[in-house]
Amino acid sequence: MYKRFFILLILPILFLNFNSKVYSDEKPAYGGTLRLSTISDPKSFNPVIAQETSTTSITRYIFEGLLDQDVDTLEMKPHLAESWTKDKDGLVWEFSLKKDIQWNDGTPFTADDVVFSYNSLVYNENIPCSARDILTIKGKNIKVEKVDDHTIRFTLPSPFAPFLRTAGMVEILPKHAYEKYVNENKFNFAMSLNAKPEEIIGTGPFMLSEYKPGQSVILKRNPLYWKKSEIGRLPYLDKISFSIYGDEVAIIQFQQKNIDIYGVRGTDYPILKPLENKNDFTIYNLGPAFGSNFLTFNLNTSKNADGGSYIDKRKLDLFRKVNFRKAIAHAIDKEFIIDSVFNGFAQIQYSPVSPANTLFHNKETEKSFPYEYDPEKSKTLLSKCGLKDINGDKILDYPDGTTVEFNLFTNSGNKLREKICEIIRKDLETIGLKVNYRLLEFNYIVEKTLNTYDWDSIVLGFTGSIEPHFGANVWRSNGHLHMWHPKQEKPDFPFESEIDNIFNNALEIMDDGIRKKHYDKWQILAADNLPLIYTVVSQMLTAVDNRLGNVKPKTNGGVLHNIEEIYIKK
Amino acid sequence: MGRVILRRLFTMVPLLLLMSFFTFLFLSLAPGNFLSSIRMNPAYSEETIEMLEKQYHLDKDIVTRYLIWIKDIVRLDFGYSFTFKRPVGEIIGSRLLYTLLLSFSAFLFTWLIAIPLGIICALNRNKFLDKFISIFTFASLSMPSFFLALILLYFVSITNILPAGGFSSPGFEDMSLINKILDVLKHLIIPTFVIGITSMAGLIRITRGNFSEILSKEYVIAAKARGIGNFRVFYLHVLKNAINPLITIFGYNISSLLSGAALTEIICSWPGLGSIMLQAARSQDIYLVMTSMLIGGVMLILGNLTADILLVFNDKRIKIQTA
Repeated sequence: MYKRFFILLILPILFLNFNSKVYSDEKPAYGGTLRLSTISDPKSFNPVIAQETSTTSITRYIFEGLLDQDVDTLEMKPHLAESWTKDKDGLVWEFSLKKDIQWNDGTPFTADDVVFSYNSLVYNENIPCSARDILTIKGKNIKVEKVDDHTIRFTLPSPFAPFLRTAGMVEILPKHAYEKYVNENKFNFAMSLNAKPEEIIGTGPFMLSEYKPGQSVILKRNPLYWKKSEIGRLPYLDKISFSIYGDEVAIIQFQQKNIDIYGVRGTDYPILKPLENKNDFTIYNLGPAFGSNFLTFNLNTSKNADGGSYIDKRKLDLFRKVNFRKAIAHAIDKEFIIDSVFNGFAQIQYSPVSPANTLFHNKETEKSFPYEYDPEKSKTLLSKCGLKDINGDKILDYPDGTTVEFNLFTNSGNKLREKICEIIRKDLETIGLKVNYRLLEFNYIVEKTLNTYDWDSIVLGFTGSIEPHFGANVWRSNGHLHMWHPKQEKPDFPFESEIDNIFNNALEIMDDGIRKKHYDKWQILAADNLPLIYTVVSQMLTAVDNRLGNVKPKTNGGVLHNIEEIYIKK
Repeated sequence: MGRVILRRLFTMVPLLLLMSFFTFLFLSLAPGNFLSSIRMNPAYSEETIEMLEKQYHLDKDIVTRYLIWIKDIVRLDFGYSFTFKRPVGEIIGSRLLYTLLLSFSAFLFTWLIAIPLGIICALNRNKFLDKFISIFTFASLSMPSFFLALILLYFVSITNILPAGGFSSPGFEDMSLINKILDVLKHLIIPTFVIGITSMAGLIRITRGNFSEILSKEYVIAAKARGIGNFRVFYLHVLKNAINPLITIFGYNISSLLSGAALTEIICSWPGLGSIMLQAARSQDIYLVMTSMLIGGVMLILGNLTADILLVFNDKRIKIQTA
């Protein structure tokens, strides 16, 4: 009796207002609000100076570039420009712009806006923007000029293979709206958070409607957007609202069906998966992410102010032996990391290029350099480096009897990375290495790796991109992000000199097939010499409410790459 | 009295100078600066970073930067936030009301419940009711606020009876005024409860202690013996004497109005000062941190001053020294 009463009591709670709904019509329809969440406030609405995803994840719906990336082939395809031609050396490119495009304030979009966006914004020395650093070719700017109202000519100082991918993605901003800020040298403060919505002018499918600090950003439909479907002008949605929720709140809001899309972490999976039917959503596995997690050792031979090396000489000599780094790679139990940290939703990373990058990833790295988990092999490799346990304390010693001991740092706040470090520390202990693991504030790590050089080993990650050349600051031996030994005057190791050549030469090769061969070689060199020891790359899981139509999740582009076609089912 | 207050306000200046200098010093001595995260981004060249360093005056030494800051503060210019590229005053202003709303609601909740409970404990000292309430206060004293917040959020995620964080529900713009108010009140419940419960315990203990001490004083017993009614005794003899320490706590509570809710705000995604202050401190957005420190300092001093003034009004025996 009591039991039945209890069940009756609990039933309404379990089935509270959301039963799977059968949608009558699967045809696109206008209207409705897409409800998203974002972890922190945007820092401005200025896409040119934006450095953080909290800003770009919003401005990407307001501003557009000349070209766009095809989510399947990863090749560039027409967007604001409808076609382009190039001369045989790949030095002169002409883009024809689409003619029926308007800014969201009604002004027509013309070649003047494109010229303005490059010459007055990207190449403006007073505006900090990463596009300029990428589009500066051997110290020279690309010449950008207007041929007529709908034709633009780019003249390159020398061949530059990533041209389409970089120049095509630069956001185009309206000259009529922002020229005055540039003239007064105030562009860096334009489009800030207190700007009126009508001051944020783009060509994108959505425009700013309202920003409430700490609460939400609301975008509304751009009624003048240029893309059309068979039933009319796109986009279908009326609004997109971004609620600013912390991690703890976002997942609950998704469970309560207050937001439509939630980026699922491996640890969330067991919580959300059982709710899929009841709450009527679908979890998609989008495949490997573009970012990376790696362990790197300090190989820096440059001298500090006192003429000594930055870290203990014996330690430095050890780190510089490739057998030592190979021993470490064999000692890390990557399968265990995948299971225990990512709940299975990750895969081993073999190359600096993520397997998600189907254009440039070299599958050969996995076959030639798998670095399978093998502590015994590690121990053999370490003894080849001259290490053995002399005093019988189960910790390896240098030939002179002193204990091998080094620090392992990572930045605090990234829980996955912290867990990876715990496992690495334990794995290295198994092969007899004494590792002191410490968490440091991110800024402190940056200071150590890029300025003071007083570190032994670090676990970090980089966000990746399709174009391998964007990693040049990391891989060229004179790069300031060449973590293991930054800003070298001439390459330290032979493999570094080879990689330098690859990055310099591949940049000028316009044939994608031949170019890929160069970057394949780089990936092999990296995997063989292990300046960065890659661990695992996570897979991207996304939960999407089934009330959304036209959802076609892709590894590259995620769920919202076709935002203008997404609609709310009736 | 007026002169004393003026004097107290005047002594604020050196105190704040000292506080601000040390904050500035420690912030600047911490490794890295606001640009560290850009340094780690392969897309940025060193030239761009150097240019930003100049723009933000991060290439100057600490003393010069501090002096520039002081000079601006005197003109009530709190500087720019590096992150938001807007004046600090504006950033803080946009969040201030939300924090005040939450703090005030928690403040009311705490005091309206804690004082009566404390008095009930004192009147029933060592009886069942006292012990029962004491168990509750000890439990809440030992519960960290973030943990309580997480538990409540979890509870809400299962039962769906309350909104899980944030300030308002989706579709807030289209609600009627009454529904808007109700919606915000619903969102207030969890954070208010979390802050209230964890700060209530101390207040109950202190109230109980004071009241039971005064209740056992000879003049109270004498008054009772003279046949004065219980209510009169309590109001005239006990209350006035027992609330002095509470007034001091009241002062401290004023000072934490703007900072006391930070942790709960962050967990519950409340749009107040908490989350931007944490962000600012972590990213070394120095002027935003400095200003929040200044606000904290001013509030502490004002809170104490308010408490002292209230004490004089409550208890004629207390005088503020003019010397």
